[in-house]
Amino acid sequence: MTWIWFALKNVRRNGRRALLTLLIAAVGAACLLVFGGYGQYTYAALEEGSARDTGHLVLAHRDHFDGDEDLPMQHGLPDPAGLAAAALEDPRVRAALPRLELSGLLSNGEKSAVFVGTGVDAGGEFKVRGPFLNLVEGTALSPAPAAGDLPEILVGQELARTLRAHPGTVLTLLATTTEGSLNAQDVRVRGLYTTGVTELDRRAVMVHLATAQRLLLTDKASVLAVYLQAATDLPAVRADLAAAHPELAQRTWLDLATYYQAVRALYDRIFGLLGLVIVVLVLFAVSNTIGMAVVERTREIGTFRALGASPGLVTRNMVLEGLLVGVGGAVAGALLALAAAFLIDAFHVQMPPPPGRSVGYPLHLDLTAGLFLRDGLAVTLAAAIAAFGASRRAAARDIVEALTHV
Amino acid sequence: MSGTPALESPAAATPLLRLREVFRAYRAGPVVVPALRGVSLQASAGEVLALVGPSGSGKSTLLHVCGLLDAPDAGSYELDGRETGRLSPAARTALRRERIGFVFQGFNLVPVLTAFENVEVPLLLAGVPRRERRRRAEEALSAVGLLAEIGRRPDRLSGGQRQRVAIARALVKRPSLVLADEPTANLDGATAGQVLDLLRDLSRARGATVVVATHDARVTHHCDRTVALRDGVLA
Repeated sequence: MTWIWFALKNVRRNGRRALLTLLIAAVGAACLLVFGGYGQYTYAALEEGSARDTGHLVLAHRDHFDGDEDLPMQHGLPDPAGLAAAALEDPRVRAALPRLELSGLLSNGEKSAVFVGTGVDAGGEFKVRGPFLNLVEGTALSPAPAAGDLPEILVGQELARTLRAHPGTVLTLLATTTEGSLNAQDVRVRGLYTTGVTELDRRAVMVHLATAQRLLLTDKASVLAVYLQAATDLPAVRADLAAAHPELAQRTWLDLATYYQAVRALYDRIFGLLGLVIVVLVLFAVSNTIGMAVVERTREIGTFRALGASPGLVTRNMVLEGLLVGVGGAVAGALLALAAAFLIDAFHVQMPPPPGRSVGYPLHLDLTAGLFLRDGLAVTLAAAIAAFGASRRAAARDIVEALTHV
Repeated sequence: MSGTPALESPAAATPLLRLREVFRAYRAGPVVVPALRGVSLQASAGEVLALVGPSGSGKSTLLHVCGLLDAPDAGSYELDGRETGRLSPAARTALRRERIGFVFQGFNLVPVLTAFENVEVPLLLAGVPRRERRRRAEEALSAVGLLAEIGRRPDRLSGGQRQRVAIARALVKRPSLVLADEPTANLDGATAGQVLDLLRDLSRARGATVVVATHDARVTHHCDRTVALRDGVLA
């Protein structure tokens, strides 16, 4: 016999009670894993989306991020093509894409609406970012501006609805130039898209970088988005670029991912609180079970003490029982969570759109080895702590009193 | 050997336990109840001593003091020449684990363990290696005639068999002192006699001193010496 074998026999002594406690621990562990897996998936998706939208590193004029402009592109990036070419010499850099941010009015001749848009290197953007646009009608921008035809524009679906625009519709962009005058540019709608955020869809447009530069009468870009081969290279590449271009300001994707940071802060609190509640529930369940076992086995504890068991050994044996329940619960919980993850994927469960967003997303649990280890340990430790608390006093009880306990 | 009232073992024998002027009282609310009032007693190695007296006479308290389960309020208790009053709780526990065996009135076997595992417990507590534990537990169960019942749990054993398992458990660690509190109270007359003979013979064979607390007069016939206790005082 070993003490673990003895603990196992004691756990099985009251089978129904032990099973119920183990189930509570298992459900607790499964909940921790499901919430944790959902959180991991959400964080990973938002991280990927944020880095994909902005680039791993964004270079700009030193006043671009914090300063106000008197005229458009006052804090623009001169020679964006040269800067991009220099950045691309580093083999760790996958792409360097100039972008121009602009705003103004978009008109269909009868009606005008404010737009907030971006001029992009369409070929590079699609190559690096993949199918990042959620097109609802028409097609994406051509890789390069077509010669001889009107410049192309992609319009947010809400803005398009306001202007009754569809693919092929000719609209007019109006914006203040770098010289302070107004300029206009006719454009043909190539497609309609959604950002997933209704408010943004009411303003969003996307044009070729050359179209935006022509409209604003500039050869500058607002920023240079740098995409890396591996996100882990970010600190090193950032340092190298800072040394090479000390006159420029830099922001990482994380600096600019305010939505991601807000969601993460919110989820961390919500899931942290839920996790705490679950761990406390497991703690109380095991504490109750061991507490009842301690009362029922008071004479037995007295006998063990009389035979020469120290209070520490008695407590340790009870903690072993708690650990067995905790480990059993953690393993059963892990199996439950894996089953839940499988079913969620198999049935393509969709989440509703988050607040302020117009599209939902597929639910997925990102169950990692680290998550299993962390949550399994949390449940097991909670069970062990509960057993320790419930048995400590009984183990130190007067032996004669324990032996005469009825 | 019939019981003969005497406070001390024969002078030639080495005293294994020696109590001098032991006092012990319990507090029941505002009332102080004296359980032992200046008890002096000694027993030699290998001696089988019956401690008789009516309920409430202090037998169990004296047994608890001898077994280091309780400490006297005043007086001294030497076990194997060692004064126990100055021992730390851990040292008292170690002494119990190594030198003292207990046989309880209600057997106090662990219901989820087999007869073999119950007997193995004191050896497990003492850190005896597995193979040695197995050998000694089987030997102890064989000595009490229960080798065939080795895998049975207590609820599958008769009262006499349970008490024999308890005796095997008490003797398996080869203690120098065995304390039995009303070991025959739950047994019929014939079984009680067998159990007492077994306890006496096995203890004697191992050189262990046995102190049996009982209010059963028949028990004294199986002991070397009888000591009577009344109202906390040796009669």
